[in-house]
Amino acid sequence: MAVTSIPPVTAPPTGPAPPGEPLIVGRPDAFRRRLARLGWEFTAPALFVVGIVTIFPIVFSVVMSLTHVTLSVSGFHIGSFTWGNYSLILKSSTWQYALGFTVVYTVITVIVELFLGTCIALVLERLVRGRGVMMALLLIPWSLITVISAELWAYIYDPSFGIADRLLHGLGLGSPTILGSNVSAIIAMMIADIWKTTPFVAIIVLAGLMMIPQDVYEAAEVDGANSWTTFWRITFPLLRPTIALAVLFRVLQAFNLFDLPYVLTSGGPGHATTSLAILGHQVMFTDLSFGPGAAIATSTALLVVVGCFMFLRVFRAQVGKEEL
Amino acid sequence: MRTKRRYGWHRYINIITVATTLTVLFVALPILWMIISSFKGPSSINTNVILPDPWSTANYHTAFVQYDFGKAIATSLIVTICSTALVLGIGTLAGYGLGRMPMRGKFPIMVAMLMISVFPSIAVVAPLFLIMRTIGWLNSYQALILPYTAFNLPFAIWILRNYFLGIPKEMEETGRIDGASPLRTVWSIVLPQATPGLFTAGIFCFTACWTEFLLALSFNPTLRTIPVQLSTVGTIYEAPFGIIFAASCVAMIPIVILVLVFRKSVVSGLTAGAVKG
Repeated sequence: MAVTSIPPVTAPPTGPAPPGEPLIVGRPDAFRRRLARLGWEFTAPALFVVGIVTIFPIVFSVVMSLTHVTLSVSGFHIGSFTWGNYSLILKSSTWQYALGFTVVYTVITVIVELFLGTCIALVLERLVRGRGVMMALLLIPWSLITVISAELWAYIYDPSFGIADRLLHGLGLGSPTILGSNVSAIIAMMIADIWKTTPFVAIIVLAGLMMIPQDVYEAAEVDGANSWTTFWRITFPLLRPTIALAVLFRVLQAFNLFDLPYVLTSGGPGHATTSLAILGHQVMFTDLSFGPGAAIATSTALLVVVGCFMFLRVFRAQVGKEEL
Repeated sequence: MRTKRRYGWHRYINIITVATTLTVLFVALPILWMIISSFKGPSSINTNVILPDPWSTANYHTAFVQYDFGKAIATSLIVTICSTALVLGIGTLAGYGLGRMPMRGKFPIMVAMLMISVFPSIAVVAPLFLIMRTIGWLNSYQALILPYTAFNLPFAIWILRNYFLGIPKEMEETGRIDGASPLRTVWSIVLPQATPGLFTAGIFCFTACWTEFLLALSFNPTLRTIPVQLSTVGTIYEAPFGIIFAASCVAMIPIVILVLVFRKSVVSGLTAGAVKG
């Protein structure tokens, strides 16, 4: 590496300089140092922007979560140190529910999305024509503003004129107020989420499928494996890193679950669909309790980072080092 | 194509066709429902009729004349385009520095960037809000451009760095011999080779900024972007769905066009992690 970054003008790259002649041009160390400094100069703007918008506020958030913060008209005041914000949220049944809800919601939606997404990908892989069109179609829900999809599903679930109400009525299931009771509101929100995100999972899995070399399948066929065995013994194991990646993306998104419940249910009925992000936002911007709000936000972030690390550990152990 | 479906090819084609049709319906029906409903006038929007009767463009008119959706789209465009341009500019430099320069501490920087990109934005919304309130930035373009730039930089740097790693070193050296400045080398030699990476990073940044809700809602309650404007029209008891859908259909156009044109870039971005780790 070092040798290739020396410009060719520094003529004899190997071998000692002729005796008596001072080495003027070929000074790899100085050159490398210059390049390194240049590298830092190039990276500095990015580090600066990312630093002031993320690292500084994160530190600030941790500080806020550990102190009495009071808000005034002109600004804010950071008071004395306290663990109170954390003990407050840990004891709060609303926070406990929000944590449980976020976890359960994530697990169920991710499993369903993975199953459906893998099915769709397996179907599309076998398509002879029109795969490009299908990919394009699948990208539309991915690029859709979540608020739009939430409004759309709110219209579908509307108790007086929603199409879902009409469908359920037609199926002889009566006319439940879908967003009015806890369980049906949660299921309704999951369906909206699954609709928007399954295509995203399908695309990732499809790309993973297309990376599997064809000769593996040919070998399996020579050995007389049927398609079921081929899937579980060949496709699935080779697909595991891709699936792991999709799961990671989805879990991270799920801990940010905010737009959909905010628009579709406002966290209700009661607290039934209050995710951690919704709760944090409510506590901070409706109740203006920035201390407890910061404690909710910080603990959520901590959960995400710890979860991510654990996930990468397991994932790395499974697929070997070359992936990360 | 695989050859294992030599037994029962016809049977297979049927299953595939049925499944593909189901997929199309699953994805397209709700969107079609929205587009159709945007043409339902006041007399048919709040009923359970399927097709508008009569077809009306009144919602589009109301959305843009009465509800300021034109302004919201303009705000979203300004914020999104500025953020994307900044991300690509700063991200190219950083990606080049981290990819090609013999710096110490590259690895910790990349790991830190990766961790920052997974951080939930709820964790920074409160402190950023307080800071922006103190310096009087609430309801300004920069209140969104700055955080959007920061949150989208890590992914852009990651993608661009991977592209830069693949460009042969000899090309840069040629530039250096010819006496080009480092910036000039990046601009005229390295960047043209990384255009697919620029497209990928750009489209992801654009989509993320266009759809972002939490920060826009918290920092800019009056200088509204589209998602905020969509969520604030109407009351908790009644939402003017026709108007919302009309505005949504218009708001979908730029992003759908971009995503369809740069389809390959999007897919390569989605799978970048799977390929490169």
